[in-house]
Amino acid sequence: MKIMVDRTKCDGNGVCMGIAPEVFDVDDELYLHVADPIPDDPELRARVRQAVTSCPILALKPVEK
Amino acid sequence: MIDLHSSRIIVAGGSLSGQSAVTELIDRGFAGEIVWITGEAGGVYSKPALSKEFMQGRVSLESILLPAIDPCGANLKIIDGSRGLSLDAQARHLQLDDGRYFDFDGLLICTGASARMPDFALNIDNVLPLRTLEHALAIQQAVRTKPRVLILGGGLIGCEMAASLRGLDLDVTVVEMQSSLLERPFGGAFGDYFEQLQRRNGVTVLTGQSLARLQTANGKVTGAELADSRLLPADLVLVGAGSIPETAWLAGSGLALENGVVCDDTLCSSVPGIFAAGDVASWLNPLYGVRMRVEHWTNASAQGRAAATNLLAALCGDAPGIKSFGDIPYFWSDQFGLKIQMVGWHPGHDRVVVDQPEGAPGPVITYFRGDRLVAAAGVNASRAVMTFRRQIEAEARRTVLEPADA
Repeated sequence: MKIMVDRTKCDGNGVCMGIAPEVFDVDDELYLHVADPIPDDPELRARVRQAVTSCPILALKPVEK
Repeated sequence: MIDLHSSRIIVAGGSLSGQSAVTELIDRGFAGEIVWITGEAGGVYSKPALSKEFMQGRVSLESILLPAIDPCGANLKIIDGSRGLSLDAQARHLQLDDGRYFDFDGLLICTGASARMPDFALNIDNVLPLRTLEHALAIQQAVRTKPRVLILGGGLIGCEMAASLRGLDLDVTVVEMQSSLLERPFGGAFGDYFEQLQRRNGVTVLTGQSLARLQTANGKVTGAELADSRLLPADLVLVGAGSIPETAWLAGSGLALENGVVCDDTLCSSVPGIFAAGDVASWLNPLYGVRMRVEHWTNASAQGRAAATNLLAALCGDAPGIKSFGDIPYFWSDQFGLKIQMVGWHPGHDRVVVDQPEGAPGPVITYFRGDRLVAAAGVNASRAVMTFRRQIEAEARRTVLEPADA
């Protein structure tokens, strides 16, 4: 599983970071860093999927590898 | 115990909390019928974007629409554009405003909140609130003629609108009754920071001022008179006066109502089998030991899912499956390219610590009640704020606070 970020949309609001901080990290320039690959842990992946659907500007897209 | 195949759950409300609840019911394989009464027609959209990216003209309407729900074989009936008219909680009977009615086994109330419009602001052309997409489109239409904008209320909506419209090079004035901007969401601890930020970017800010009346000509607003008799000309007045939970349709339902639907820590209302989520829910947050009603994006999403999960457990007679819902509230605000973030619940705090990190565009503030960290906020400081979030949650799970007056 990999997360694609639409950089034209992502504004660093940090919603994803609040849900899965192990994977999403917004720096102080508001740039979102995403862990790659995403650790193979079912609980964490559920939260990552929740973070994807919770993005208020729909900037995240999961890609199953 | 009831047979879930022949049961019906109604989800009332078509915004984020309602959509999250419906999604959770589908994901959990609920075998009965889901009736989703959306209220507002036309699909779910991102409310935070309305005063931010959408108002700045940075994103299109299509890009703030949430994807439609995939029913995945579930028995989902969507009633788009109708609203609940009345409810009999004991008889489990819901009447719609289009004449239809439904009996139900479970109900999720996700009807949100609407913009508070003071009487003086009603029925005047170019005097608008901002809460819904319809409002946002009306404001976008109104700003095409480059009006002088007066914003009543320096809260989150007011300050974001001021920033977004200033970005369109409009003449903007904000009038706020309190002595500083954003006092309710940030507790006044940012002092003059927000006021200076707005001023530096060309917004006229008048704090500690109240409105005497709006001036009109031919039914259209022309300006405002302040309590000190000062006259402010304006072609467009935006009202950011907070919100009212959408509970009018629940009057006489038998549900306890007070600043929303009164819920316990599991989001269950005063009547079993009826749960609430999102802006309409006043619930006992176990992480703070206080009753709160939170009007933010992440809370609406998480509560929608939690309320649906708990309702299913209740319908199955699975008492241990009904879980307490604890949340560390989170919201962010976009103003002049800065991201201001707040985690936690600051009402009732008795001490703040103000830190000014070197090179940062604003302070990082932590809020304490006694020794306990209860909230934190910062400007372009996601990492610091999210680190505090983990600390706030860890401390909350260790100690339960005594109720305080918010």
